[in-house]
Amino acid sequence: MSKLGQVVESVETYNQFVLDQVKRARSDEKFGRDLLGRWNDIKAKIPTTRAPTGLPLPRLALPEIDEPGEIARFLLGEGLPGEFPFLNGAYREMYLEPVREVESFEKDGETKKRKTDKKIPQAEERTHRLSTAFDGPTLYGIDSDADGVFGKIGEGGVAIDTVEDMVRLYDGFDLGSANFSASMTISGPAPIIMAMYIAAAKRRFGPSVVPKLRGTIQADIFKEVQAQNETIFPIEPSLRFLTDMVEFTTREMPRWYPISISGYHIGEAGSTPVQQAAYTLSNGFAYAEMFAARGIPVDQFGPRLSFFLDCGLDVEYIALARVSRRIWAIGMRDVFGAGPKAQLYKLHTQTSGRSLIAAEFKNNLTRTAAELILAYMNATNSCHSNSADEPFTTPSEEWIRLAAHGQAILLEESGIFKHTMNMLSGSPGMKAVERAVEAAILEEFREIERLGGVLAAVEDRYQRSQIQNASHRYEQQINDGVRPIIGLNRYRNGSDDMPEVKLARTPRKKQQLQVERLAKFKKKNADKSKRALDKLAAAVESGKNCFPELLEAVEVCSLGQITGRLQEVVGRFRPMV
Amino acid sequence: MASPIRILTAVPICDGHDSAINTINLEFIRHGIEVVYLGYHRSVGDIVRAAIQEDVRAIGISSYNGGHIEFFAEVVALLREKGAADIKVFGGGGGTITHEDAAMMRRKGVDEIFFAGTSLDEMVKFVHQRYGKPRAKRARAKSSDIELAHKLTEIEDKKKIRNSKFGIRNSCKTRVIGFTGPGGAGKTTLIDELVLRFLNKDRQSRVAILSHDPSVIGEGALLGDRATMINSQNDRVFMRSMATRGQAGGLSPATHDCLALLARSGFDYVIIETVGTGQEAMPFQKNGIVDQTVLVMNPDYGSRLQLQKIVMLDLADIVVVNKSDLQRARTAHTEIEQRLEQNRRAQCLIDTVAKRHRDSGVDKLFGLISTSDKSKRGKERKSHEQARTGR
Repeated sequence: MSKLGQVVESVETYNQFVLDQVKRARSDEKFGRDLLGRWNDIKAKIPTTRAPTGLPLPRLALPEIDEPGEIARFLLGEGLPGEFPFLNGAYREMYLEPVREVESFEKDGETKKRKTDKKIPQAEERTHRLSTAFDGPTLYGIDSDADGVFGKIGEGGVAIDTVEDMVRLYDGFDLGSANFSASMTISGPAPIIMAMYIAAAKRRFGPSVVPKLRGTIQADIFKEVQAQNETIFPIEPSLRFLTDMVEFTTREMPRWYPISISGYHIGEAGSTPVQQAAYTLSNGFAYAEMFAARGIPVDQFGPRLSFFLDCGLDVEYIALARVSRRIWAIGMRDVFGAGPKAQLYKLHTQTSGRSLIAAEFKNNLTRTAAELILAYMNATNSCHSNSADEPFTTPSEEWIRLAAHGQAILLEESGIFKHTMNMLSGSPGMKAVERAVEAAILEEFREIERLGGVLAAVEDRYQRSQIQNASHRYEQQINDGVRPIIGLNRYRNGSDDMPEVKLARTPRKKQQLQVERLAKFKKKNADKSKRALDKLAAAVESGKNCFPELLEAVEVCSLGQITGRLQEVVGRFRPMV
Repeated sequence: MASPIRILTAVPICDGHDSAINTINLEFIRHGIEVVYLGYHRSVGDIVRAAIQEDVRAIGISSYNGGHIEFFAEVVALLREKGAADIKVFGGGGGTITHEDAAMMRRKGVDEIFFAGTSLDEMVKFVHQRYGKPRAKRARAKSSDIELAHKLTEIEDKKKIRNSKFGIRNSCKTRVIGFTGPGGAGKTTLIDELVLRFLNKDRQSRVAILSHDPSVIGEGALLGDRATMINSQNDRVFMRSMATRGQAGGLSPATHDCLALLARSGFDYVIIETVGTGQEAMPFQKNGIVDQTVLVMNPDYGSRLQLQKIVMLDLADIVVVNKSDLQRARTAHTEIEQRLEQNRRAQCLIDTVAKRHRDSGVDKLFGLISTSDKSKRGKERKSHEQARTGR
């Protein structure tokens, strides 16, 4: 049985344990009395907050129960926020900030930083969180001078060919500061990009900066193969390079999140909510199994894992993250032996881009607002709201601002989540969804287990086919009108002209500049790069952790040179269709 | 009846958005169109090379990652440069391509850009109307690959009926190797891995691949082998994808003549791949064209009794058990070995894991098929048997 099969058993065992404890609380008088005592202590400690109208409210709302069995069911089955099994929240307090997204993109050859939360006067600026998207060539590990990529340089994100580009990108930021964190959305070539980031930080602040680096790199290979198609090496070497990186960062960079286990792209590719949650969790458990097999202690890598989910409008989203958090905690504790910090399903949520449509696109504001409410009900740890104009253009300033304001209105202006942090959780309806979703996720786990575990299922294209099938069904339902989409297949006004927008494109001469910089770098390092690549290739062949050699190689080699050499050694990813 | 329209579809380099094109491909083939699908993350050079070799009427590009103005224009320009301006270009990209962009792309020679909200019906109708008319008389081919591609089209569309002399080879240099086996055994991956070895063996040799996919009954066909081939996107590889167009047995009515033409066209190796076949299929007769036949098996063929029914096991020169990392592979090897012993012929049995880079089993297979010297092949076989006893 793979670890996933054991996770299924552990959840079932835990559910039975809860039922047994409920019975015990009712029959064992001392146990019941202790529970009641604890319950009264908890209630007594909950602070009272006041709404602007003066209405007093508890910071945390608890179910109105005073019977030991029900108390046991709540405390053990759900747990208080910040307590195992974390159904109600990963932390004791929900510390949601209204908006945390910060975008950066390279335009006109200079890094332009757009910091949306600065526009909200009340928003307290705590941390510089710089989120970086990369252009297509970088995402595929190739250089800006490659055949036919010229028009894609700088499109959709920054072009990174060399460590010098990385230095330029983060110019002006104190990378070692406790108030700075970088987030990099890249998976296929993530270890190379990670090495470039470290090298760039060292160039500017010296070697002592390395343990201080904070941030996240996506590095999720499984979801790339399952949904997003940005994979450059075959699966097994991809996973090996990832593990090499994780082994390095967990040891040398204790504040870094080396992987963001992402359901978002699975959801956007058209999966059902349950598939999204199930594949994300099972991918997470597969990574945990891999890292543990490498000998990295679970309490070292466990707290450095984070998750990223899509939140759409289907009813499952009422509890999708809540259930995910619980399954993760039980699996990590009972199968992997993880301590409390390694049991946390730390979650970033983004509203669904797929749910937004071009027809009468202003309705997208309402869709996104509803999705935000669902995300907050799930006690997500951070959130990004999409722009209403996304279906037909790269988001513009105006609609980015409105999307950010949507969060602020819900969290600051409205009282829904402001006073009582779990205002909308725990209803009988939500519990019904929790039970149904948990059962469906476990069923998915069983299917993956039957196929031989996550890796075997991925190679068998299982998740990929399931996602494609669900996507097809979704489109069919829209087509047949079974799935109402307002303004599209219902209450349509007939005029869905979208505003003609002027897109910000990277100018040709800046693309040319990128190619020229690369040529200079390659020329300058021609001799050294050959030696560094040979050394890297030898390290890969030897089977040892090749991240140290990668760190050396990025000093003198470009992304494309490194990718090319690694592909000679381990092969290229063969697309799945 | 007119021959089906052949088009090529692809997603540009650095773009993995294949969901739209997958849906569109299926709609095309349901409406009688043969689609050669090249896959995602494909360069301008790969797309143009494939379009020329496949001699398609048009290229449909689905682009969602930006840079489309340049990319489409480069495809059009390269087609013209290569002397293949009769291959047209169309495409789309949902909301990522603006009306302004599309106008510029049309000026640069793109036939049509579809926007978000275009129905599948409209696209099918466009392809039928725009690319469904018979071809005009074709100009003299600018390169030997184009000439070959045109001739293959003539054969496939039965404009020229070849007589029997076409079955005779006049080049002894060319080795023709036939691959067959059940669907899902990994034939395409195996061939692509062998191509990598052919290309690495020397700097000049050229390889031709004739690959087959089934036609949907009375309709189009999805010719998708290229989408998973990564090493065969190379100027030294000439690949042609054929639909079976109603013929059973894993090949097309035109296969024999096309193969004969390829065998005379100066390639060092010609590889022919059948569609996934069943028990009864005997696609390769000993007709003087195919030098060697390779049967690629999946370890999951069912019971031992099933093996008795597979006719190709009697005929194949080499039997490959691919996916030999699967649990059942060892059993499969033993059972197939026993089955082959009944034949009392010099057949080879090789275990491969084609998905693995530099797999030693694929190396062995390459040794067997790249050596034309028969005695040497015998030796290979012996050493292979010794290696097997060591298992």
